[in-house]
Amino acid sequence: MYISHLSLTNFRNYGRLELDLSPGATLLYGQNAQGKTNLLEAIYYLATTRSPHAEYDNQLLNWDAAETEEPVVVGRLVAQAQTATETKRLEMRLILERNGRARPNSFRREVLVDRRKMRLMDLLGHLRVVLFLPEDVQLITGSPAERRRYMDITLCQIDTAYCRSLSQYNKVLEQRNALLRQIAEGSGSLEVLPIFTDKLITLGSQIVRRRALFLAGLARETQRVHYESLTNGRETIRLQYLPRLAGNGPPEQESVASGEWLSTEEATPTSIKTQLAEVLRQIQPADIARGVTSVGPHRDDWRFLLNGRALSSYGSRGQQRTAILALKMAEINWMTAVTGEQPILLLDEVMAELDAQRRAALLHTVQSAQQAILTATDPAMFTAEFLANTTSLQVSNGRISYAESTGISGQ
Amino acid sequence: MANALPKPVQRLINEFARLPGIGPKSAARLTFYLLRVGDEQALELADALRDLVERTRFCSVCFNITEADPCELCSDPNRDDHLLCVVEEPLDVLAIERSRAFHGRYHVLHGAISPVEGVGPEDLRIEELLARVAQNRLQEIILATNPTLEGESTALYLQRRLGDAVPKLTRLARGLPVGGDLEYTDEITLGRALEGRQEL
Repeated sequence: MYISHLSLTNFRNYGRLELDLSPGATLLYGQNAQGKTNLLEAIYYLATTRSPHAEYDNQLLNWDAAETEEPVVVGRLVAQAQTATETKRLEMRLILERNGRARPNSFRREVLVDRRKMRLMDLLGHLRVVLFLPEDVQLITGSPAERRRYMDITLCQIDTAYCRSLSQYNKVLEQRNALLRQIAEGSGSLEVLPIFTDKLITLGSQIVRRRALFLAGLARETQRVHYESLTNGRETIRLQYLPRLAGNGPPEQESVASGEWLSTEEATPTSIKTQLAEVLRQIQPADIARGVTSVGPHRDDWRFLLNGRALSSYGSRGQQRTAILALKMAEINWMTAVTGEQPILLLDEVMAELDAQRRAALLHTVQSAQQAILTATDPAMFTAEFLANTTSLQVSNGRISYAESTGISGQ
Repeated sequence: MANALPKPVQRLINEFARLPGIGPKSAARLTFYLLRVGDEQALELADALRDLVERTRFCSVCFNITEADPCELCSDPNRDDHLLCVVEEPLDVLAIERSRAFHGRYHVLHGAISPVEGVGPEDLRIEELLARVAQNRLQEIILATNPTLEGESTALYLQRRLGDAVPKLTRLARGLPVGGDLEYTDEITLGRALEGRQEL
């Protein structure tokens, strides 16, 4: 799939942008803080309804530009997405909440697919992307929440049923935790608890099962890419799912054991459900005392093992970077295999950090992609051969112009 | 800085601003509109508010909002006493009445179970419902709570509490909207519509 046209209104530093894009590689270059990354972010946002950085959601709008306009529809992102079989017009509107006294800078989002109003979730699946960021390496060393976020956003792009279960699970969890606190304080009803617990078990076991399958598939591909293209067979990488399906012993040991159990044939939808139900029953008194649900997919984690050891503690910076690159390249292959269509690659300043072999491997991936959009401050880091087959666009202060000197720029 | 507004004006602005969907600006606009529009219309509004408070109450049987107790729906002799429809809000009664497809009695819970909002079973008219069920020979109770997490949970809770107290306990069907388009229906709704399909 690829995007043939992108149109932005009041998004980040773009007041207004109309941009034709072609299949193949497109290089956005320019100084820092000119809007290169914002363009990738707009595409990512349309594909996933999420910002690449969890904490930035409120900064998406170009508030300076927005204030001069009528305060109704404020920001707009539109992409024309072409797949093998169809063309879809995807639109996301960011609308200022006029009555937001509590949060004055909040906005509401509206989604239109082919000009028909849809729910936010219905945007997913029309556009699939794999994003490469320099800070991706934090997936290894950062918090479990970041790793769950990565897993959820990636899975949601190809599985709307998962996305729906996840969003329902989070609602049930919020209700159940509120109820646990009330029970602890003596005001909540113990009779209501099983109702939310049952829903939590049904949705939670679906999520755990889906994640286990996803990580197993991604792990195989990551291992292959890592071994064959990036390390010449010197190192073996593994992805290990660490679900929270047990509550008695040390969390890490139990998670490893649960993860291994999930990869066996014993782990059927029914047995996962039974397992989650059993552990929730065991720890219910403790959960009531603490006022939180302490097991379940909202506490899941996963990790990389390099030659059998945890990459976060034993790996060098270079090994961590290689592992992330393998993961992302595997994500492309996995998505292509699952959906029958290549995702769009978005690469933000990632070439500069890589050594020659890894850079060559990634460039090969970029060149075989149906569409890839890269950013760089300096186009000179790319070979003339690469640039000759690439559309180069200069980004300067929220405006985009076709480059004169580099390669065949098309129009 | 001294407050330039006379106290009664400020008071009304504050009152309007407490209403849902009305911010301080709208509140001020409404207040000044009423100052300008003339005594008659403003006093009519005041009267309407007074009426609302003084002349409405909850029906002691179904807990719908009513002027007379018991309400019109509860005292109508032409309605079926064996059928009871349980809803979350008074507006839901209105919606079902508009369908003209139901001729039984109602019971308004005044909400749904939602621990996040601090609403538990004891905050709803559930004990009253159970008492009603115990006193009347019902054939069927229709649980018409919303198809949301809170509405579903309330229905499940009621199912537990009602047990075998009534011969038939039903839930509103979930499926396709009339005039809807299969192509644009989400999988969950379509799945439910398939589950609940009916023989021709």
